[in-house]
Amino acid sequence: MTRLTVNGKPVTVASEPDTPLLWVLRDELDLKGAKYGCGIAQCGACTVLVGGQPVRSCSLAVGDIAGSAVTTIEGLPRDDAVQKAWIALQVPQCGFCQPGQIMSAKGLLAETAKPDDAAIDAAMAGNLCRCGTYLRIRAAIKLASGQAA
Amino acid sequence: MTIALDRRGFLAAGGAFTLSFVVAPQAGAQQAGATSPWTAYLTIGTDGRIALMSPTTEMGQGTHTAHAAIIADEIGVPLNWVKVDTPMPSDPFRRGGSMGSGGSAGVRAWWDPLRKVGASARQSLINAAAAQAGAPAAEVSIQDGQVRRGGKVLMPLGEAARLAATAPPAEGTPRDPATYRYVGKQTPRVDIPAKVRGEPVFSQDFTRPGMVYACAVLSPVWTGLARQINEAPALAVKGVQRVVTFPGGAAVIAGTQWAAMKGAAALEVSWASTAYDGLSSAAISAAMLAGLDKDGEALQARADGDAAAALSGAARIVEADYEVPYIAHTPMEPWNVTIETTADGGLEIWGPFQTQDRNRNTAARVAGLDPSKVKLHTLMLGGGFGRRLGDDGLPAAVLTALAVKKPVKFFWRREDEIGQGYYRPAQVARLRAGLDAAGKVVALHVRTAGPSMRQSFSPAGLPKGEVDGSSVQTLTDTLYRPGAYRVDWVRVDQVVPMAPWRAVGATQNGYFMESFLDDVAKAAGKDPVALRRELLAHDPRALKVIDRAAQEGDWGKPLPAGRARGFAFVYSYGSLCAQVVEASLENGEVKVHRVTCAIDCARVVTPDGARNQMEGGIVQGLSSALFEGIEVGNGACENRNFDSYRIMRINEAPAVIETHFIENDQVIGGIGEPGLPPATPALVNALFALTGKPIRKLPIMAQLANA
Repeated sequence: MTRLTVNGKPVTVASEPDTPLLWVLRDELDLKGAKYGCGIAQCGACTVLVGGQPVRSCSLAVGDIAGSAVTTIEGLPRDDAVQKAWIALQVPQCGFCQPGQIMSAKGLLAETAKPDDAAIDAAMAGNLCRCGTYLRIRAAIKLASGQAA
Repeated sequence: MTIALDRRGFLAAGGAFTLSFVVAPQAGAQQAGATSPWTAYLTIGTDGRIALMSPTTEMGQGTHTAHAAIIADEIGVPLNWVKVDTPMPSDPFRRGGSMGSGGSAGVRAWWDPLRKVGASARQSLINAAAAQAGAPAAEVSIQDGQVRRGGKVLMPLGEAARLAATAPPAEGTPRDPATYRYVGKQTPRVDIPAKVRGEPVFSQDFTRPGMVYACAVLSPVWTGLARQINEAPALAVKGVQRVVTFPGGAAVIAGTQWAAMKGAAALEVSWASTAYDGLSSAAISAAMLAGLDKDGEALQARADGDAAAALSGAARIVEADYEVPYIAHTPMEPWNVTIETTADGGLEIWGPFQTQDRNRNTAARVAGLDPSKVKLHTLMLGGGFGRRLGDDGLPAAVLTALAVKKPVKFFWRREDEIGQGYYRPAQVARLRAGLDAAGKVVALHVRTAGPSMRQSFSPAGLPKGEVDGSSVQTLTDTLYRPGAYRVDWVRVDQVVPMAPWRAVGATQNGYFMESFLDDVAKAAGKDPVALRRELLAHDPRALKVIDRAAQEGDWGKPLPAGRARGFAFVYSYGSLCAQVVEASLENGEVKVHRVTCAIDCARVVTPDGARNQMEGGIVQGLSSALFEGIEVGNGACENRNFDSYRIMRINEAPAVIETHFIENDQVIGGIGEPGLPPATPALVNALFALTGKPIRKLPIMAQLANA
């Protein structure tokens, strides 16, 4: 049993402590916004926030983050600025990687209010997008942070 | 209130498709009759909302938005009144006898039929409303979801739909596209808000009551079979229920996806040896290169004039050999499918399908069923790029479902998504151009050699002696006129499985031709754009595309030191696309600063969606050029995940991509694929301009590392 706060709600999960957080979210809590893409922290499709920091949930044992606050794409407010920017600039194509992209962007903007291209590239380099929406991701992060794209 | 369902079907002009209306009951009402909603394009509810069955799979290319926009404009409703889904395979949605999405055909194949569907729906609604109101139909129109006569609202659309369901259907004439409100405008994608909120149910996210997970364990060597399986370590994993075996491997069954993966990692399998255990990239490469010398085996694909004679009479010959490796599709969603057996002994399947009939027929064959006993649902795809055109994973999944007798999600891990292949073919080419004394191209001979994708991918294979069109794609139908011209192909098959990869043969052949033209330009002392203009002097449409890209991309204008531009032009899938790539080399890494794209696809239905397709195609073309290629060793793909199969990341993507559309009254061209092929050679040509050294083998980074 591991206690967590997931999207603001306290939960006690029964998954074994060595279970990666991704599978606790998907298999046990039925939160399927975070995706399985590689299982080895190379693609970022599973990115969620733990204690406000973006993490690759496929490679983080739930037992190691007992007591932490976890935020997934499902936990963002309806009027979230990053999501609004993503819609305004029509970022997604297939959309599979986008929850992970958005959660990485949330983590970046919590640390850096107005990131430049280099800061965006550094923070987002762990999130692959095979559809190639990278230029729109850069622009959307700037829009969400009140900068001209 | 209960409304009897009454479906009216009729054949529209040409008999190519069926338009049906279904008046759906209001929410909460008892359904008073059976319907087959997947046989109809449109279901118009009594609330006026429209359910559109699109014949295409939405995998990020945006065709569902394009189709919704066409229907909304033709009928005259707000775009958000149209909800789009992909139907089960049936005749109205088939092209050439089967249903599927490929060949950049989503808009160009369905533009005319869907306009006609929408127009006929509109006319039927108008006729029914006019009859009710005692008004001449010519005075009735539909605007913004309301049926109007003059300035007055006659009735809401839903009421007209209720009347139309019991009235004779009519045939309508499509509107003038100039009057469209959504088509051709900055229309937002219908699927994006949900995708941004993480709401869509991708195949990976789909569940059924009582469903179990089945993690595939597959032979790393192509065609390999399991010799011995020790189930005990897998069964010892908490949550694992059993192991199912099938030809080529096994599946570990568990109540959760994680337990199935853990069990799969623990399963001990020894694989029987195969005839291919020793196969390597070096051997594949050597066989292809040897093929280039086999004149007697070369199958002619195009011959204009006598290229051999023209080459022997030329003042000067330019010659070069090129090579590309097998490359993987790597959609971000690893393949998976959900299957359950039905009460009538059939199967119901939910998955990421680009070819609905092919997958349904394969499932039926494996299960020994008539295809009518297989219900196949298409879910949202986490990327396609051609990898979901096949059915290669399905037989093992069906066998597993039949063994488990519960709803089962059968899934591959990323290692199998990359390692089980169905790759873009490896291929080599030899190009020889003859120049006259004035430096004019008077002859060109292109020979390609490599495995036949059709042999690997098409159930019918490729008969001996026939040319695989994909092996010479964009070479046989090039718009260039290089004088005497010959294209031929030497078939060098391998066991490595292949499938169409976004833009298919245009990827490798576009690279061969366009890189070679820069070699020719250099030899002739000509500017690369000027050379292409000479070869396209007969084709004003192509010249316009070339000139637009050159102008917008600042071709010929000064650049900062250490930067260079490259140019390429490829005609594929009915669209003409030219690109300028601006690049530099910094500390051994290639940096792409800017890409300028001009594309003539004749008509742009959703401009921003099309722009996104250009951007994505360019990124994928640059990615494959720079990084991609599998390494074959010991009969297997040695790259198993993104740590060893490198694709472009955001920090490697260009700073700027600009797209310029050219529209005209020609036949509509494709958008999903044509933006990709020029990106690869345009980058190669920029590096050639920068360093003076041609890059004749991909990926680029491997060449730079070896230089």
